[in-house]
Amino acid sequence: MAQAGNTNESNISARVAVVAAGVVSPLGVGLTETLQSLRNARDCVSPVTRFSVAQCRCKTAGQVPDNRLLAGQDEGRRSRRLHRSSHMMIHALKEVLTQEPHFKPELTIIGTTSGGMSYGERYYRSLRQSEDLRHAPTWIANYPAQKPVIDAQEIFGISAPCQVIANACASGTNAIGHAFECVRSGRYQRVLAGGYDALSEMVFVGFDSLQASTPDKCRPFDRHRTGMVLGEGAAILALENFAAAQERGAPVLAEIIGYGISTDNFHITQPNPSGIGPQQAMEGALQSAQVSAKEVDYINAHGTATVFNDAAEGKAISKLFNGVPVSSTKSMMGHSLGAAGAVEAVFCLLALQHQFLPSNINFTASDDDFDLNIVANEARPAVLHAVLSNSFGFGGTNASILMRSFKE
Amino acid sequence: MSLAIAGMGWITPLGSGVDSVWEQLLHGDEAFATTITEEFGDRSYSVFRVPESALKSAAHPRLRRASVISRFAAAAGLDALNAAGLKIDSHNAQRTALIFATSNGGVIYTKRFYRDVVSAGAQSASPLLFPETVFNAPASHLAAILGISGATYTLVGDGAVGLLAIKMAEDLMANEAIDYCLVVGAEEIDWLLCDAYRRWRLLRAAPPIEPFSKQNRGMILSEGAGAILVAREGPFIVECAHPGGYFARRAEAEETLKRILRDLSQGEIDLVVAGANGTFVDEAEYRALKAVVPNAFVYTAKPALGESVGAAGLWQVILAVQALRFAELPPVLHADPACSLRLPRSRMPVAKARRAMVLSCGLNQQAAGLCLAIR
Repeated sequence: MAQAGNTNESNISARVAVVAAGVVSPLGVGLTETLQSLRNARDCVSPVTRFSVAQCRCKTAGQVPDNRLLAGQDEGRRSRRLHRSSHMMIHALKEVLTQEPHFKPELTIIGTTSGGMSYGERYYRSLRQSEDLRHAPTWIANYPAQKPVIDAQEIFGISAPCQVIANACASGTNAIGHAFECVRSGRYQRVLAGGYDALSEMVFVGFDSLQASTPDKCRPFDRHRTGMVLGEGAAILALENFAAAQERGAPVLAEIIGYGISTDNFHITQPNPSGIGPQQAMEGALQSAQVSAKEVDYINAHGTATVFNDAAEGKAISKLFNGVPVSSTKSMMGHSLGAAGAVEAVFCLLALQHQFLPSNINFTASDDDFDLNIVANEARPAVLHAVLSNSFGFGGTNASILMRSFKE
Repeated sequence: MSLAIAGMGWITPLGSGVDSVWEQLLHGDEAFATTITEEFGDRSYSVFRVPESALKSAAHPRLRRASVISRFAAAAGLDALNAAGLKIDSHNAQRTALIFATSNGGVIYTKRFYRDVVSAGAQSASPLLFPETVFNAPASHLAAILGISGATYTLVGDGAVGLLAIKMAEDLMANEAIDYCLVVGAEEIDWLLCDAYRRWRLLRAAPPIEPFSKQNRGMILSEGAGAILVAREGPFIVECAHPGGYFARRAEAEETLKRILRDLSQGEIDLVVAGANGTFVDEAEYRALKAVVPNAFVYTAKPALGESVGAAGLWQVILAVQALRFAELPPVLHADPACSLRLPRSRMPVAKARRAMVLSCGLNQQAAGLCLAIR
């Protein structure tokens, strides 16, 4: 286990403020819509419309409607060529900069799993089926994983260098965690961090082939869970050295106080059933924040609703925490992969700001293998000071971040 | 904070082994081009492939079904640890970080997986192939083989990603809970990649790569891996890893490179290992180098080894370390005779060289640089 933020005495150990946030997901475009969906425990999973799923077991996903994605964006030729991921990143960054127009990041760290994969699919299909390849250069140019990040930054005149982390489903949390570490160490004052991923046929079929996705509802931590559904989205947090943010009068929405990362080396697609990987990531976040498990008021779980993930994570949470409320918001919007950690960090931020517990919908019965206090089916008010967000991914990569409501 | 390079591993089309590949480059050797085809493609492409003999150290049960990019990464990573004499055990498994850099990832298995979907429908999709299509599959295999249980990151980008990964290592090692960071860059070749770069007008039909030529005739893709073990002590210092930058348009690459060069050239720079590969990159680098470090010797190995994209930055760092270590530069092959940069046209001693710069200008809008020194 690496306590990523665990700086020792010889290092600077700065507080890290979240000064702005932006989000696009099936729950809504922007913080206001997202908050409303979370409070109403909206089920935003719907039949897949972007490609044929006739041969797949799973037929549903959380999708951001194109008309919402393209609304208010430049209608020029160049804009039309951009990948959906770029449009999602543009929305998320626009929201950040609407709140903090003078935020000038020194670095941007973004997580993703599949970049502009759907353009890669079109290119391959067109080649394979001898179809029109006139647009191939556009597809190829918009395929690389860094392109949506650069597109968004360019539109808003941000020149920060970009690091794109692809740690599978933990990417978004890793991006925020690493950004937290960069600011906490004193090496950077301001960093943009987040994640994005757009639904693509290849990835959808891939999870279906593993029988990880479900033809049923997504029921995280439920005894009758049968698997995940996919989602999509983008989210960005603006992180800043706390003192610097206060000095310039920026509003502090919350603080990030801890980050843990571990690699469990068990199997490329399955977690160690003991839950040791998630446990080490959560312990790392707690140690890095120097808080005890008792001080955590809510856990936004990875909770994919696969049999193996939820069993491992459920055991790890049961072992470390005693009765803390837990929910997986993937139940409402599906698993947005590289975006998930960032989108869920924004959910945690909203939960802290508005003092409520986001719900774990479609929950019918507890699993006897672990003892969790699930926030079942309805959001509910709560007093929250510190919340933990988990993300775990293929390759045994595990990440947890700990956020705290702002206090002087 | 400056860090040191404690060990290196190198898998290239000229074989494996840092000193062996270096010796071949000094002799002016260049990789042998082979041709790849695709059943549905109407063209063939020249590429520089890694010989199977270079992968002897990458025989591990975990790699049984892995794509070749994972084998490249494992072979280079193991060589770097061996060179440093570092064994990962229970004491340092959590104190050693791994950063894997790539541009295209496991493209061979990705294509094969999607081919089955396109040709026979989703029901034919292989659950064995899918996990290997994920960008972080090579990092996962390498972490499992080495027993690294702490921080593992996969960084994706263009040809600059290798140097960005070293910058990330520098940031990670600001945390004193980490003693070592193994940085590995790898890439594998597929026909589909060649076709994509050709449509982008960046690929040449056949060797040679002609660096710093006014014609920008294009590059030849290659594959392999480079690995560097970053530590706190060692004879070669990473004085400064630049966070890099991006350019929205190719015409802006020159300004981005100048900014990086200016930031890095606070002291005297004796030599620069550039990324020139026969594309638009060359002119941007030429102008930036002429403007900021006109007296430095400039070397590029891409005519000899090809453009390995995600591995390229690590290869360049290895080249810079070797040049400082042996006080010598290999010849730049096929360079334009009219180029006014200080290119070694034949094997050339650089006896007083103490500081070297590595410059990477990617083909997809990213650029990065770093400065190395010998103690």
